[in-house]
Amino acid sequence: MTMPPTIDIGRALLDRLVTDVDGRPLGRVDDIELRTPEAGGPPVIEAILCGPMALGPRLGGRVGTWWLSVGRRLRPESNPEPVRIPLALVTELRPGEVRLSISRDDAGTLQLRDWVLDKLIAPLPGSGVAT
Amino acid sequence: MSKLASITLGILTAIGGFLDIGELVTGSLTGARFGMSLAWVVVLGVAAIMLYADMSGRIAAITGRAVFDIVRERLGPRAGLVNLVASFLINFLTLAAEIGGVALALDLASDVSYLLWVPLVSLLAWVVIWRLPYQAMERVYGLMGLALIVFVVALVKLHPSWSGLWHGASHPTVPTGEGHPTWFYYAIALFGAAITPYEVFFFSSGAIEEGWTRKDLAESRANILVGFPLGGALTIAWMALAAVVLQPRGISVDHLGQAGLPVAFALGKVGVAFMLVGFFAATFGAAMEVTLSSGYILGQYLGWSWGKKLRPREAPRFYAVCLLVLFGATGLVLTTIDPVKLTEYAVVLSAVALPLTYFPILVVANDRTYLGDDVNSWWMNLLGTGFLVVIVVASAAAIPLMIATKAGL
Repeated sequence: MTMPPTIDIGRALLDRLVTDVDGRPLGRVDDIELRTPEAGGPPVIEAILCGPMALGPRLGGRVGTWWLSVGRRLRPESNPEPVRIPLALVTELRPGEVRLSISRDDAGTLQLRDWVLDKLIAPLPGSGVAT
Repeated sequence: MSKLASITLGILTAIGGFLDIGELVTGSLTGARFGMSLAWVVVLGVAAIMLYADMSGRIAAITGRAVFDIVRERLGPRAGLVNLVASFLINFLTLAAEIGGVALALDLASDVSYLLWVPLVSLLAWVVIWRLPYQAMERVYGLMGLALIVFVVALVKLHPSWSGLWHGASHPTVPTGEGHPTWFYYAIALFGAAITPYEVFFFSSGAIEEGWTRKDLAESRANILVGFPLGGALTIAWMALAAVVLQPRGISVDHLGQAGLPVAFALGKVGVAFMLVGFFAATFGAAMEVTLSSGYILGQYLGWSWGKKLRPREAPRFYAVCLLVLFGATGLVLTTIDPVKLTEYAVVLSAVALPLTYFPILVVANDRTYLGDDVNSWWMNLLGTGFLVVIVVASAAAIPLMIATKAGL
């Protein structure tokens, strides 16, 4: 991975587009997970967090709570946490873009997309989806 | 062939994007009430949209980032969301007004009530978005929109006093019997119509859909330099028609039919036929652009796959948003709300929301990590900042003026 040792989170990471190994978008960096090393020292970035459950708390207020509750419905009940993408999967930081080493189908950020595809788009004539 | 295609992108953006229901309503309405005294606003609006379209097109071509991508990135999630909600609402009102405009044009042509045309117009819009390839859509509406040149032909045919029109435009004064607040309220409406947010959303997203790169920048500039002034010139001709025919007779414009009277007066049925084809193309093309823009901005804010180039199964959320917005806007027009009033509100509210869109464009257009040596030159920044100041003033004044004048009474 070509990550510099220190980065400006606000400038190079937060709110950037996340793309998969083929350059297809899978969401945005809605929040990040930090860990403070036990030995002391500055916090280390552990993972990027995607989806409404990560964005809700950053929006704050009533809108944030509402956003969060939408996100909760999109996550399995067994795992009510935001989608977490370990930093080890990040291959490149481009201007405005965070590139991953995995396919977006394995990232777990596309529940809403799959739901919309199944319930709304596929049944329409000419959608190009075999039903 | 690709040269032709990208120039039609310019013409479509000019006709459908610049000259749409907003200009058709506000241009004629202000011409009938204030003569040529607000023509300067159109010139100012054209200059502002040219500059910001150039910046957003350049950012799109070099970095592959569309406007709302940048809005989220530079304003952060909260201010970005405020802008998203405001822009989405304005898009929604604008779309309803455009659908109403298409239906009114068909009403004038057929004498069948516009309300009966509305569902058919929406269905046609959906079929075009769902099935028609991007470039076919652009060419058809771009070329049909050229029928609006009939405005210029009608004006020449009327043999107006050119020096009188020029004097009215170059010495703007508030006509007797009209108050300053009303005059400024309509100045903001004209300005808002010229720089409606969806134009830069569509321009930058369309550039990405067409796969523009740095090589295409010269063509992008050509589109802007031809397209927007053409749209502006047609708007001024349209305003002049109302100033020459409607103002002296004290006819006010409450309906698109009254706005069309000068063309009927000058050229008869043939002129009206051309005008209605142009109305149809301009408002229908704009309806496409506004619908797509709704999908673009939501998709860009949330990091979805978006774009008409993608098939529905590749960008299901994008297509779902377009469908729902079209459906909702159709419902709004069918409430029998007056499409002309709807247009006025949409263009004034456009002016209110604009600073949150134009500011991030100006910032990123100066970011060397994104654009390298293609950042704004000093004169672009000078003009861009000047226009931003005008936009902020218009944005702050719009709502108070709307209340003070009871929305232009």
